[in-house]
Amino acid sequence: MISSIDQEKCVGCGICARSCPLDTIRIDKEKKKAYIAYGDDCMTCYFCERLCPTGAIFVHPFKELLPAVFPVK
Amino acid sequence: MQKRKEFTLKTDILIIGNGSSGMWAAKRAKELAPELEVTIVDKGPTDWGGLMSMSEGDFDAVTPGKSLDEWMQDLVYYWDGLCDQKTMKTLFGLSYDRMCDYQNMGVSYLKDKNGNLRGVAQRGLEHICLYPTDMKGDGGESMAKALTKALEKAGIKRFGRIMIVQLMKNKNGQIEGAAGFDTISGDFYKIETKVVLIAAGRGGWKASYGNNTASGEWVDMALKAGAKVRNFEFVEVWNVPKLYAWEGQTILLPLGARYVNAAGEPFMSKYSPKYGANTDPHYITMAMAYETREGRGPIYFDLSQMTEESIKMVEPNAGWQLLNHQKLSDMGMNFFTSKTEWMPQLLTDFGGLDTDLYGQTTVSGLFAAGRSRSLDNGVYMGGFDLSTTSTTGYLAGEGMVRYIREKYQPTAAIAEERWNTAAQEIYQPLQQNGIHPKEVLRKIQELVFPYQVCILKTEESLQDALEKLTRLQQELLSRMTASDPHYLMKLYEVRGIFRVTELYLRASLLRRESRAGHFREDYPQRDDEQYLGWILLSEKDDHMEHEFRRVPIEEYEYEIKEYYSDQFCFPVLEQTVD
Repeated sequence: MISSIDQEKCVGCGICARSCPLDTIRIDKEKKKAYIAYGDDCMTCYFCERLCPTGAIFVHPFKELLPAVFPVK
Repeated sequence: MQKRKEFTLKTDILIIGNGSSGMWAAKRAKELAPELEVTIVDKGPTDWGGLMSMSEGDFDAVTPGKSLDEWMQDLVYYWDGLCDQKTMKTLFGLSYDRMCDYQNMGVSYLKDKNGNLRGVAQRGLEHICLYPTDMKGDGGESMAKALTKALEKAGIKRFGRIMIVQLMKNKNGQIEGAAGFDTISGDFYKIETKVVLIAAGRGGWKASYGNNTASGEWVDMALKAGAKVRNFEFVEVWNVPKLYAWEGQTILLPLGARYVNAAGEPFMSKYSPKYGANTDPHYITMAMAYETREGRGPIYFDLSQMTEESIKMVEPNAGWQLLNHQKLSDMGMNFFTSKTEWMPQLLTDFGGLDTDLYGQTTVSGLFAAGRSRSLDNGVYMGGFDLSTTSTTGYLAGEGMVRYIREKYQPTAAIAEERWNTAAQEIYQPLQQNGIHPKEVLRKIQELVFPYQVCILKTEESLQDALEKLTRLQQELLSRMTASDPHYLMKLYEVRGIFRVTELYLRASLLRRESRAGHFREDYPQRDDEQYLGWILLSEKDDHMEHEFRRVPIEEYEYEIKEYYSDQFCFPVLEQTVD
């Protein structure tokens, strides 16, 4: 899931926000920086990290922890 | 919050969903009728391309020299006879043409050293095979980009971040419009159209692996408009790594990958001496459930039997899959050399709209294509969706053009008060106080994810889940609210997921037998006499109605000689109830 957006590296281009299939990222209009607005909607597709021109975004490969399929011991 | 704006769009064809089937339908319709206005809306970004962009890029096609009859015989066997043979023969017959279209658009497929397309046989079947794109990691993305380029050239209008929530019908019962909202600004969209295509994927439970956008809000909308759905008892329970996503096991299994239990035993050969692990995920996840219930879990994926050449062929070398592979390797979790725990995970429902060959539903002017139109039944061969989303989209494009030319009857414009009523209903849940959509989603997941509800089903487990769902509807669903347009989208998604869950449980209770991707532990045998056919569900006066449509096997070309499920033997449940 999306983990962080480095505010120093972010140039506020908005590519990540426009490309996120789940609308996880938004742009702070005053600061002109991307921020994680709806982090728990992330599905770990990596589009944002791959498209970021400055390498500001880090997506962790682990997915969201979901309710159990088998009983938890 | 700033004041909500209103926008009116006028089009001839409205397509909901900018994925593979929606784009193919748009492309075909515009080719046949350049004078018609074709508009695609998607709740996601404009240029994403839907879930196809997350896929491997594998494509099922009956290539020159291969026999369509042999593919059909494989399919009838694999689907345990529950196959609309006329439709599937037409779709397979169109598959190679679409693959050629992709090649003409610049997509390239894997070839052997002699320059021939490299097919990978699927699920132990003799003839059906998929053809991978030659860049492992961004094959689906390359296909989505190629289609997007073709649509731009054809002048097809596309709008992202718009969620359609209501369909409108005229006095003749024909579709005439759709209402929705911008999921970021909240602006209201009034769309006047002559025909609507639902090309919005399946309904699902947001269990990651690239499936979180397919939530099935269209199911609720289509049922309310009077459409019929089918195949909801069949779900996609996929075998997935426990911690992360990995695409491509449909290629790994035929190349020697297998599953082992905690003791290192390759258990699938015990349940199916013929196929072992080279089979459908439905049967593998059933075996995973039995192994775990008997205390032999957890289950691991074992790649030790694969050759170096095979690993080289499938190792990601581009796109999100390469990035994922690199990150996991950096964490000491190299997919090809580490021991990886896998588990079953309920992803989506195979249920979809009941249509004719060209995608026309039971509602005049409402069409469906791709995974919103149900063809298959819970067993799934790799490459099937990219193939059938292209072919059903293509046919829907033709069907919609013909409908507009031959059946559409113009009526007066939609009255403003009807739009106002739609807007009031759509925005009604937009409130600060109430229950968060995520909380309701979690409760639905908790009741449907347990293996006894989605893998080894029984009357008792399904009834219990249905009772919990009914309570959830009374206690939580009606109190669910959204604090902003983003969460309003989530709210409609969760309402869709609720409806998909209800359809799944009801259809599963109705099919008291086991067939293809539906297994009832209390009815483990197939029952052709009563159940060789489709269960159709519809809504009338807020109640669910069902009917049964037999497979017209006497009219069909291919006899059911054998059943794929007969190649498996699972433990028999001790009968406690008569």
